[in-house]
Amino acid sequence: MQTSLMRRLAPRNALYFLLFAVPGTALFAVFVLWPLLVAFASSLTNENFYRVGTSFVWFENYGRLFSDPAFLQTLRNTVILTLIVVIVPNALGLGIAVLLDRVGWVFNAMRAVFFVPVVLSSVVVAVIWQQMLKDDGIINSSLRSLGVTDPPGWLSDPSLALFSVSGIVAWQAVGFCVVLYLAGLQSIPKELLEAASIDGAGPVRRFRGITWPLLAPSVTIMMVLSLINGFKTYDQVKVMTNGGPGVGTTSTLAFDVVHTGIDSGAVGYGAAKAAVMFLIIAGISLVSLRIMRKREVDL
Amino acid sequence: MRTQRRKTQSVLVAAATVAAIALTGCTVGGTAPTGENGDAALTILVSESPNLTAQYWDAAIARASAKVPGVKVTKVVGENTPAYAQQLFASGQAPDIFAAGIANGLAQQGKLAEYTRKELEDAGITDFTSGTINGKFYGVPTGAQAIPLVYYNKDLFAKAGIAGAPKTYAELVEDAAKLKAAGIPAFEIGGGGKDTWAAEFGLVSAVAADVLTKDPKWFLKRGNDEVKFTDPEFVGAAQKIQDLVKAGYNDPNAMTRPYADLELAFLSGKAAMYPMGSWFSAAADGKKVTNLGVFGWPSDQGKAAIPTVTGAGLNVNAESKHVDLAKKWALAFATDKENLDSSAITDGAIITVKDYVYPSNIGGLFKESIAAYEEAVKNNAAVPAWANITGDGALPPGFGDVLIAANVDLLTGAKTPKQFAEYLDKQYTVALQK
Repeated sequence: MQTSLMRRLAPRNALYFLLFAVPGTALFAVFVLWPLLVAFASSLTNENFYRVGTSFVWFENYGRLFSDPAFLQTLRNTVILTLIVVIVPNALGLGIAVLLDRVGWVFNAMRAVFFVPVVLSSVVVAVIWQQMLKDDGIINSSLRSLGVTDPPGWLSDPSLALFSVSGIVAWQAVGFCVVLYLAGLQSIPKELLEAASIDGAGPVRRFRGITWPLLAPSVTIMMVLSLINGFKTYDQVKVMTNGGPGVGTTSTLAFDVVHTGIDSGAVGYGAAKAAVMFLIIAGISLVSLRIMRKREVDL
Repeated sequence: MRTQRRKTQSVLVAAATVAAIALTGCTVGGTAPTGENGDAALTILVSESPNLTAQYWDAAIARASAKVPGVKVTKVVGENTPAYAQQLFASGQAPDIFAAGIANGLAQQGKLAEYTRKELEDAGITDFTSGTINGKFYGVPTGAQAIPLVYYNKDLFAKAGIAGAPKTYAELVEDAAKLKAAGIPAFEIGGGGKDTWAAEFGLVSAVAADVLTKDPKWFLKRGNDEVKFTDPEFVGAAQKIQDLVKAGYNDPNAMTRPYADLELAFLSGKAAMYPMGSWFSAAADGKKVTNLGVFGWPSDQGKAAIPTVTGAGLNVNAESKHVDLAKKWALAFATDKENLDSSAITDGAIITVKDYVYPSNIGGLFKESIAAYEEAVKNNAAVPAWANITGDGALPPGFGDVLIAANVDLLTGAKTPKQFAEYLDKQYTVALQK
């Protein structure tokens, strides 16, 4: 009787399921899937703002990409920036979260302080840091007053500028890592840590044996998000260095896509770069998720 | 069962109705826009800046609208660049009129309405030397800019024992050496981040003096592959700029300064000479700075380079529902005396409209800039502002940014002038192929 009732209800349940799912699916199709398909189609053409008439060139744009030294430099810059933006905020964020995982108004205030950069616009952050890091900015002026006669060209030295920009992006991300890792730490049952303490485990052993494994889901999320954000870095590069100093020394994938597709008007070629960027981000995210999920433990 | 089927049908009808309403809302286009009283409603895209404020635009629009009955013009604020204009057209949001020149690319696609020469002449336009696309006009050329002139600090020159502006390149180098000996950076050439464009004006000046004063059509020839950047005259000009920087004549902190800080640095006496567009005179006069002079970058033979471009703004959307009215309004806006006065005082525009007389309250530095321009035009010594012209004779799309980035390598010594020129030749070919 129960089975026959469920069988009769199934079509109605399926219908209601569809009605609830359709709006979200429609939005996804219109604002995500359709533009992706249009962009991919554009990447197979020689579409250009400054040229009348567009024709299919199939995979010629993709072939050009990987023999273009400027694009390869951009890829290299993006990998370096992403490595810094993944490792530094996560390591610092976890350390700070461990230190702030205490009760008290001081620790609450410190959490707010660390989170402030996260809520600021990345453009605002970039403008402020550009003022501080320029050759006669407050940082170099302070260094000169301390006797440093030739302070670093944070944004003017081609060998340093990429690390300066990466540092700013990483700095802004630390607060978010702190908050997420704090939430993860506070979800770990205190009894486990107390039991370990009673059994004679010191802080390092407790962290390695209990905290670190149970934090795995938080680490997975933060690593993947940091990876995606690293690959998408645009604002800070545009404001602080405009891809320079010189030719492409701080150009990132996202910057290159905008510059090629919009500033230069080479829509088809820019779309090919965007497609490659999408595939790289999707591929690396999926692989990272797979690897990191393996170390997650359930209580 | 029947009740259930009716309920299902009702739900489906409701869902279909909602979807239809939503899709209708997404539809682009509609009936021809009209304002109150049946006036034709037009939109104009403008860019607001410290020089061209919201109040400036509101007042200018009101004056033009008073001359063209039956029109209501609404201001839309955004980035007045060809790239942004392309996006607006692609998304169906292009306004009827674009205040600043964005014709390149759009004119070729047939998206802009053409002005005839007669329409422009009847409106008092006298300068037809720039702003064309395939020989046709899509904007109203009323205001020229000299890009760049060299502004200099008379007090710092006097402190270094220099009597006046240099007449030859050799004198320029000599003056730079005197300034350095007096502990004064000779040049403020730089610009950081998104303002790196400002750093190219040294190179633009040197090329204008050494290449274009001898052959004003050099860049047209480059477009036809008759000359190359690796030719000795261009490499020689690049070499001069690199030598000036290597000799320590440039302000060492200039390269990372945002544009606003660059201007402030020169105005506050951090360097003696500042290659910049003639719009700078409006900023200096606005701040009541009176110790500045201006000259054109001199060639070896003593010919002063005055690179000029006449902006052809007020492009009209060919898809506008009121093209003729929009063009009429645009011409009225472009030639309105008060708008021209405003443009001259706030943006340093050198007006090229027939019988135009500057207001009596223009600043001293702007007067000198106008004099330098008019002298150059009279003597046939005005050359194209090769890095800033758009349309016919312009650098290929995207190449301008390549030039700006490579120029930094030239200034810092990361590229030799020959490597710089070779890089430009290669990228020029790539830009043409994109």
